[in-house]
Amino acid sequence: MRILVVEDDAETAAYLVGGLEEEGYSVSRAGNGRDGLFLATTENFDLLIIDRMLPELDGLTLVKTLRAGRIETSVLFLTTMAGIDDRVTGLNAGGDDYLVKPFAFAELLARVKALSRRPRGTSSETHFKVADLELDLLKRVVKRGGREIPLQPREFRLLEYLMRHAGEVVTRTMLLDNVWNYHFDPRTNVVESHLSRLRTKIDKGHSPELIHTVRGAGYCLRARE
Amino acid sequence: MRASSLFHASSFRLTLAYAGVFLVCVLVLFGVTYWFVTGYATQDEIDEIGVEYASIRDEAQLAGMDRLPAIIDDHLRLRKDVRAAYLLMDAQGRKVTGNVDAMMPFGGARMMNLPLDGEIRAVRTYGYTLPDGQFLLIGQDTSTLNEMTSLIVRAFGVGLVVTMLLALLGGALISTRVLGRIETVGRTAHAIVEGDLSQRVPLRGRGDEFDDLATGVNAMLDRIEDLMRSMRQVSNDIAHDLRTPLTRLRQRLEHAHRRAHDVDELRNALAESITQVDSILETFGALLRIAQIEAGGRASPPSAVDVSKLLAGIVEDFSPAAEDHGQRIVADIEPGLKLSADRELLTQMIVNLVDNAIRHSPSGTEICVQGKFLNGAFELAVADSGPGIPPHERENVLRPFYRLEASRTTAGSGLGLSLVAAIAKRHDAKLSLADNGPGLRVAVLFPLAA
Repeated sequence: MRILVVEDDAETAAYLVGGLEEEGYSVSRAGNGRDGLFLATTENFDLLIIDRMLPELDGLTLVKTLRAGRIETSVLFLTTMAGIDDRVTGLNAGGDDYLVKPFAFAELLARVKALSRRPRGTSSETHFKVADLELDLLKRVVKRGGREIPLQPREFRLLEYLMRHAGEVVTRTMLLDNVWNYHFDPRTNVVESHLSRLRTKIDKGHSPELIHTVRGAGYCLRARE
Repeated sequence: MRASSLFHASSFRLTLAYAGVFLVCVLVLFGVTYWFVTGYATQDEIDEIGVEYASIRDEAQLAGMDRLPAIIDDHLRLRKDVRAAYLLMDAQGRKVTGNVDAMMPFGGARMMNLPLDGEIRAVRTYGYTLPDGQFLLIGQDTSTLNEMTSLIVRAFGVGLVVTMLLALLGGALISTRVLGRIETVGRTAHAIVEGDLSQRVPLRGRGDEFDDLATGVNAMLDRIEDLMRSMRQVSNDIAHDLRTPLTRLRQRLEHAHRRAHDVDELRNALAESITQVDSILETFGALLRIAQIEAGGRASPPSAVDVSKLLAGIVEDFSPAAEDHGQRIVADIEPGLKLSADRELLTQMIVNLVDNAIRHSPSGTEICVQGKFLNGAFELAVADSGPGIPPHERENVLRPFYRLEASRTTAGSGLGLSLVAAIAKRHDAKLSLADNGPGLRVAVLFPLAA
C-alpha cells in the first residue's frame, strides 16, 4: 500500500508521513507540486494526498494534469481553504475526497482507508451482506436473519454507506458529508441520534452486534469485535 | 491648497460668469431694439419723401408743369419746421428753385450733408428725373432719428452699468451663499478626516438640493460610523473571545506540565487541550466563513432550490435528535416553494436555526419549521415555545460572539445567528426575531424576484 504525500510544510508533512508509516503504509513525500506530479506519473501509488496550496504547481492543477493524462489514482485533497466553493472545485478537478485542515489524524486515517481499499469509481454493487444483515439497493429492502426491517429513507442511506464501508471506521464528518450532504458541522447530534435508532432496528434482539462505536474516531459496521 | 482660497477663487469665477451672462443679455436686447427702431424710422423717412414727391407731382399735373417751381416753394414754406430740403433744376443743370444749391443730378436715395437753417445737417435725399428732363431733389433731415438712436444708446449705456453692478452684487451674494453651503460639507469632511467621526453636515430644513446632498452625506457617514463601530466591536470580541479560551488552554497546559504525575494524567490533559484547540479553530472557521459570505464572490451561481423539500428533509433529519432532547419538531410547509438561492448556504441557515431552537429550548418544547408565501414574498421561519429572547436583547443576539446570560454555559461560539444574518443578507432576505408567545420565532423573508 503506497501513498504519496505532496505537502510543502515540513512539519505537517512529517506529521502525515510519520502517522501513516506507523499505520503500516509505505509513504513517499514531495515538497512541491512539480516534484509531486513527477513522482505521481513515474511511480505507482495507491493514493495521493495533495495539499491545495503548493509551490511551483498548485494542487488543483496537479490533479487536473494527472486526470488529463488518464492517471486515475485516488486523490485526497488537504486544504486550509475552508471556502464554500473550494470543496466543489476540488472534487470537480478530479479529487476523490476533501479534508479541511486542521483535522484529527483519526479522521485522515479513516478517509485514507476508505479511499485506498478499492480502485476509483467502481461501486456498482447493488447487494451488500454483512453476517446475516442484507441490503438490496434495487429493491430498497433491508433484512436481518431473513426478516425484513423497515427503515426511514435517511436510515437506509446511512446503513448503505456503513455497509459499503463494512469493516472500516467511518467518521462523523464522513457521514455528514456523504449521507446528509452537510459540508458543515451542525451542533445538534444529528448523526448520533440517527445511528442510535438504526442500531436499535438492526441490532436489537440479534447477535452479534454489527454497528460499533469506535471511541475518538467514529463508527464501524462489522461482524466481529 | 487651503479650502478657503479655493472657495474664494470659485466664488469670484461664479460672480464673473453671472455678470457675463447679464452683459450678453443686455447687449442682445440693445441690438434688437436698435435694429428695430432705426429700421422703422428710416423706412418712415423714405415713405414721407415718397408721399411728398407724389403730392408735388399730382399738384403739377393739375396746375400744369410750368407751375412746378411755385408748388415747390409752397411745400418748402409749409414744411419749414420739419427741415425739408427741396431743389429743382432745369435740364441744363441750372437751379430753378429750392433751399439747397445746384448739384449733379442723380437717381434714387442718397445721404448727404446739406446746409439747412444755417447749419450742416445729415439729410436723407431722393433724386427724381422728371419727364421733361428737369431734376427734382426732395430731402428730409435725419437729425431726429439720430437723436433718437443716440438716446437709445445712452439709455442702454446707463442700463448696462446698473445691470452690471446689480449682476456683480447678486452673483457675489448667491455664489457666496451656495459655496458657503458647499464649504460646510467640506468642513465636515475635514473634521471627520481629523478624527471626529460624529460630525454631521447641518441641514437648513428647506428640502432643497443642498439638504438632499447633506442628507445623503450624513446617511453615508452614519453607515461608515456603524461599520467602524461594528468592526471595532468584532475585533474587540475576537480579541476577548479568543483570548479567554487561549488563556484557559495555557493554564491547563501549564498545570499539566508542572503537576502531572504520570503518563495517563498527561495524556488526559493533552486530549482535553486538543478539544479546546479544536473549539478555538472552529470559532476561527466560523469567522472566516461569515467574512467570506459577507464579502460575496461565490463562484457557483445560485440555483433553483425546492425549499419545501429542503425544509421537509431538515425536519426529518433533526426529528430524532429533537426527540432525544424530549422535544418535537413539526413542519408547516406549503408545497412548491421554489427559490433561486445557494443551496448549501440556505441549508446551513435553516440547520443553524433549528440547531439553536433545539439547543436553547428545554425538553417538552415544540419546534415548528414553517415555509409559506406571504404577499409576494416567501417566509421561512423556525418557531419554538422555549424561553424566547427578551425584546431588548433581540438586536444584540445577531452580533458576533454575543451570548445571552442564560446560554453562557452551553457550548457554542456565539456565531450561529451572525452566520444566519450573513446568509440572509447575501440573499437580500430580511431576518427578524419575534415573540412566539411563548418562545422565539426567527423568520427570514425572501423577496420572490425572478
